Amino acid sequence: MNRKFAIFMIYLLPIPVLLVSLLIGSSENIGISDIFYLFFEPRDSSELARSIIMDIRLPRILLVFITGGMLAVSGSVLQAIFRNPLVDPYVLGLSSGAAFGAALGIATVVIPVQLSAFVFGIVAVGLSWFMARKNKEVSIVSLILAGIITNGIFTSLLTIVQIMSDPFKLQGIVHWIMGNFHNASWDQFSLIIIPVVIGFVILYFFRWKLNVLALGDEEAASSGLNPTRMKIWILLAATLAGSAVVAVSGIIGLYGLIIPHIVRMIFGVDNRRTLVFNLLLGGSFLVIIDNFSRTMAGFEIPIGVFTMLIGAPFFIWLLKKSNIGWQQ
Amino acid sequence: MRYSGFTYGLFFLLCAEIVLIGCDGNTSEQKQSAAIQVTDFRGKKLALDKPAEKVVCLIESALSGIYMLGKQDKVIGIPGDVYRGETWQRYSELDVRIREKSLPTPGNWDFVSLEQVVSLEPDLVIIWSSQAQAIENIERFDIPVYAVMMHSLEDVFKEIEDLGKLLDAENRAGEILGFTKDQLKTIAHDQTAESFKTAYFMWAQGINETSGQNSTVQGLLRYAGVKNVCDLHDEHATINIEKLHDWDPDMIVMWYNEKLDPADVIENPLLQGLKAVREKQVYELPSAFDCDFWTLKFLYPVQLIHFWAYANQDTTAKPDPEKLLRVLYNQSQSDE
Repeated sequence: MNRKFAIFMIYLLPIPVLLVSLLIGSSENIGISDIFYLFFEPRDSSELARSIIMDIRLPRILLVFITGGMLAVSGSVLQAIFRNPLVDPYVLGLSSGAAFGAALGIATVVIPVQLSAFVFGIVAVGLSWFMARKNKEVSIVSLILAGIITNGIFTSLLTIVQIMSDPFKLQGIVHWIMGNFHNASWDQFSLIIIPVVIGFVILYFFRWKLNVLALGDEEAASSGLNPTRMKIWILLAATLAGSAVVAVSGIIGLYGLIIPHIVRMIFGVDNRRTLVFNLLLGGSFLVIIDNFSRTMAGFEIPIGVFTMLIGAPFFIWLLKKSNIGWQQ
Repeated sequence: MRYSGFTYGLFFLLCAEIVLIGCDGNTSEQKQSAAIQVTDFRGKKLALDKPAEKVVCLIESALSGIYMLGKQDKVIGIPGDVYRGETWQRYSELDVRIREKSLPTPGNWDFVSLEQVVSLEPDLVIIWSSQAQAIENIERFDIPVYAVMMHSLEDVFKEIEDLGKLLDAENRAGEILGFTKDQLKTIAHDQTAESFKTAYFMWAQGINETSGQNSTVQGLLRYAGVKNVCDLHDEHATINIEKLHDWDPDMIVMWYNEKLDPADVIENPLLQGLKAVREKQVYELPSAFDCDFWTLKFLYPVQLIHFWAYANQDTTAKPDPEKLLRVLYNQSQSDE
């Protein structure tokens, strides 16, 4: 594929995806004409159509786009700073921390679920960082090991909450962990947009430094960078944005692993450019997947089911087709 | 002491909150003039000017209640589970729309499609109160929500009573509640002279899964005239086999189980020390639909358990589910 054409396509992709997704939904009462009237002849549009499109579909589509984009961006930058292609945003315990936080929120009722998931997601990553820190240094191996330990700790805590929850709450916890957007609303959108924007702006600001960090600490230091400080900033930003989106979406497994690889296969490894490509492709692709999730049945199907059923075969197909050379 | 801008801000927010709470109170006062008022299981007052005509019911047990009240024509949306297995077969006998699978299914447990619910334009949605987020989203569209949570069999009575008011079926609600309570009194009268037998309730997940003192199972066993051996307080508890041996129940009652039969439990080598197993006092409730604890059909398992426990001392005939369901669902012999 011509790379310029691919770049053009990736910038263009979100527009048709988002517009077409507005047309897709489980309601049989909304057609293209309703959307036409809503945008071009608002006086003639029905209240029902307005409610469904503006208050149900639009916030959900935007929320899904941001979630997909930020999971991909977080995965991409973590792979760069860890210099490890197997890393995803959950490697430092974000998912298990957020799951524990959400479970606590569901079980105790008094703590808001999203807020609790967001806070514990950050706490988990912070815990990994401090466990790995020794003599003011943090090595990559010890950080990943600390992440595994943190995952174990929060999974155990999650299990305790699950054991103590009644069957209804237990079901709610299990469903949250599956990942879904059926409660998407403007409230959720406004809840996450600030941390997501802050996180993304920081990452965007540091995007060119990611290339230097990807070469290793010594090379980064010889270029005049402080790799430890840089990593803290990048981790902080990726965790802030990652926790925010996980708080509203639940756990969407492997998405932050697959998309950065797809972007790398198509556009190469230059982090200055792939950051935006991850946002656009990750967001668009998750919106497409969510369209299946909300229309395959009358009720909602967890999006985590489709990310793997659709994403994994596509990823394998690309892997076999590309010359990136993971087989070597 | 110096007050920072933050403190003043916080004070202002608190004042605003109090004003908002006050506004909410005014709304409630206005709604007190509504014709129909019930308090749902969240403790929230629900006020309707007229009985609901278009109901999305996302709880199968509440759906059963609506059919018992004879108000199935008002149902425009049901949970997805209704179209599966035995539940679908049984509802197919009650409603041609379910037989043809033409009723929309905008939700199943936690997975509620807000878009589908809103597009159906219901004037009442019945949903589990644990689905706080979904309720919040539905109520945002000014759709009244009746939230349900079952902790005891008395909650089943309350649900039927409330649905009777909301759906203009108060007389029918009174009729079936009266019938159920009369039947329960008969069982209570029968057991006065007997010493209570003890029972262990086993859920479908296996022998370790049971329910404690704060559960619908507790109420069920109490009405059946037997004592729940599980002294834990949980609605759902996982116990170890040693504990079960400590309790040594007179009988084991199994929830409907597709994988295990009473014979499997009786032959289980781990359970041979139990009196109930030695004396082969292990029974299985025959059908999840007929024995649903969260509907007035709980009367059937109550009758069955009482019959199993005291069959030798009791002159009562074996309970007849068809007769009971005919009364509850208001079907005459000729309807079948």
